[in-house]
Amino acid sequence: MSKEIILDHWKHLYASRVALMFSSEIRDLLSLSARPDIISFAGGLPEVRALNYQKLERYIRRALKMDGDISLQYGSSDGYYPLKTKLAEVMKLENIDANEEDIVVTTGGQQALDLLAKIFINPGDHIIVESPGYTGALNSFKSYEPKIVSIPVDSNGIITSELEQKLKELENKNIQVKFIYVVPNFSNPSGYTLSLSRRKKMLSLAKKYNTLIIEDNPYGMLRFEGKPVPSIKELDIKSSNQNVVYISTLSKIFAPGFRIGWVAAPHPILEKLTLAVQSADLCTSSFSQRIAYEYFSDPCWKENVVDFIKIYSARRDIMIKTLEDHFPPGASWSRPEGGFFVWLKLPEFLDTKEILADAIRNKVAYVPGSGFYADNRGRNEARLAFCSENTESIEKGIKILSKIIKDKIKLYRSFK
Amino acid sequence: MKKNIAVLMGGRSLEREISLKSGHRVYGALKKLGYSVTKLDIDESIVDNLTSEKIDLAYIALHGKDGEDGTIQEILELLNIPYTGPGVYSNILSFDKIISKQILVSHNIPTPPFYFLNESSFMELGASKLLPLVTENLGLPLVVKPSAQGSALGVKIVKKQEDIPDAIISALGYSKKVIIEKFIYGTELAISIIGKDNPQILPVVEIVPEKDFFDFESRYSPGKTNYFVPARLPQSLTKKVKETAAHVHDVLKCSKLSRVDIILDKKEKIPYVLELNTSPGMTDTSLLPMAAEEAGISFEELVEKIIKLSLEDD
Repeated sequence: MSKEIILDHWKHLYASRVALMFSSEIRDLLSLSARPDIISFAGGLPEVRALNYQKLERYIRRALKMDGDISLQYGSSDGYYPLKTKLAEVMKLENIDANEEDIVVTTGGQQALDLLAKIFINPGDHIIVESPGYTGALNSFKSYEPKIVSIPVDSNGIITSELEQKLKELENKNIQVKFIYVVPNFSNPSGYTLSLSRRKKMLSLAKKYNTLIIEDNPYGMLRFEGKPVPSIKELDIKSSNQNVVYISTLSKIFAPGFRIGWVAAPHPILEKLTLAVQSADLCTSSFSQRIAYEYFSDPCWKENVVDFIKIYSARRDIMIKTLEDHFPPGASWSRPEGGFFVWLKLPEFLDTKEILADAIRNKVAYVPGSGFYADNRGRNEARLAFCSENTESIEKGIKILSKIIKDKIKLYRSFK
Repeated sequence: MKKNIAVLMGGRSLEREISLKSGHRVYGALKKLGYSVTKLDIDESIVDNLTSEKIDLAYIALHGKDGEDGTIQEILELLNIPYTGPGVYSNILSFDKIISKQILVSHNIPTPPFYFLNESSFMELGASKLLPLVTENLGLPLVVKPSAQGSALGVKIVKKQEDIPDAIISALGYSKKVIIEKFIYGTELAISIIGKDNPQILPVVEIVPEKDFFDFESRYSPGKTNYFVPARLPQSLTKKVKETAAHVHDVLKCSKLSRVDIILDKKEKIPYVLELNTSPGMTDTSLLPMAAEEAGISFEELVEKIIKLSLEDD
């Protein structure tokens, strides 16, 4: 008697959102990029080796010696107060006038995204994202089952005329947009920076349509050149200070291993967020927060950011130069003034997902573009992270990629 | 004295992740069985790792390049370390689907009609002009796949003539040769064979993917595919399918272990052989452990059986 093999006995119990999670060959291929012999432009891994480990050891020892009881104990859900004063100082460097009362600490910026989605999104609600946009945010949002409306970006960031049109359309249908999500500085994945005029326009649209902007700013301090653009939060503070929820993180200016991010938002939202932190993980690691406090109490941290900027800008330069020298006509890329990523566009007939296997066989990895779109576009696009590999490897990797792409174009033309 | 077994896993293949899953599971079973076990990832230090201590047996939990193409088997032969699964020759024959299909044809074993073309034939010899002829001879839909790649990576079912080039370009990302094969409508079956002189043919597994074919996602996401063991076939057909699998196992010079993938044609009931795997998956959703369980062989017993077959060679 034949029987059906049930590999998962609990299929009937899972929530519907689990249907959105599955094995993917792209994810499996990308896991190969962790191998040391692969030049990886895939993950946006900060260069933590540039930190002074001896100093870090001292901070850790001090955290234990001076404040062991606090470091090893549960902390308050809104974050370790002394650290919050430091985070407010960090924000001031970016011209955002906030104080510790305006901040809730989260387990990385990623938790902030998840908890904000949790407190704002009911299934079927409308949210707006820039497109391409940060996959980690898209995935966090998706698990709360919203309708995601994508607005395209160009080299000046999210196209506000299209945003306006969409907001109008939705309002005509009596649909309230819950929030608009953007990474305005050196965006992940595009590397583009939202222009000042568009920031102003976005804010005025948010006010007009009575909605929120989630401004995610992990890379703002990693500017290699050009004049900083005021954050949307800064612009909002100068008016009603009602419409912007600001997220940042220590992952890029310190180290992601500590998992510290924060949110600065209107107080009623912070209250809800604090409750959400409480139910998610009670509090962000007290030990991590205490060490981060030590780190940001030492003025040296600013020098470390300067070091980071030197490292990353040299890496961006070599990536852009090698792209210019070797990539075939028909390919184009963004020229970010900071951050971690270059956004690559290939001729339309090429599919970066299909090229990935070939690239990995030749020991180079990148992330295909379609994962950064909520609507499966971006098949001829890709994200190249320049933050994680040294300049020699970047040059070598881009040359390899260039050869693969030239061969693909030749192969493709043989079918014409 | 407890035998010292090295589980070879991971490696440079595109199926690395699957191999790690197989390897970890096999490692756990060997531990439970009381063997002294080490895990070895396949990289530039593999020869040093294999020679640094006495290894009584290498368990090959590798999939794809290096693990199923004869490479690691030849290294182990040179080092005189016994290993699980078939030998060098069999791995070479079965890894290249063009060679294995040619052998099947020469032994009158049914395999879907096919053509193979390599990258340079398109780039330098204008082979793309032959595609209408290929479709004329094989009909649509067609299956386009790389000649040497497992886990259905790079495999596409093409329903329209104009989609063939994209599918070929995609498959050529995985290997330099591509197979264009007639699509057979029917039931997907997997037949695992274990043993040497009188090998045991395990119960046939029937695969019913939710999608129109058993692709990567269907293979490794529990719940995306339904499996029936033994396959829901009349006895006579089960017998025919098993005989075909055993014949394939023989002509590709397999010994000890293989899994033959077959598609049973819906109308004619012809068992068309798709491929033979020399290192069948051992993950939670893999077909060999599933078939073994139906035969009353637990996962640990299966692993023990596989290693005993290779230790007997000593």
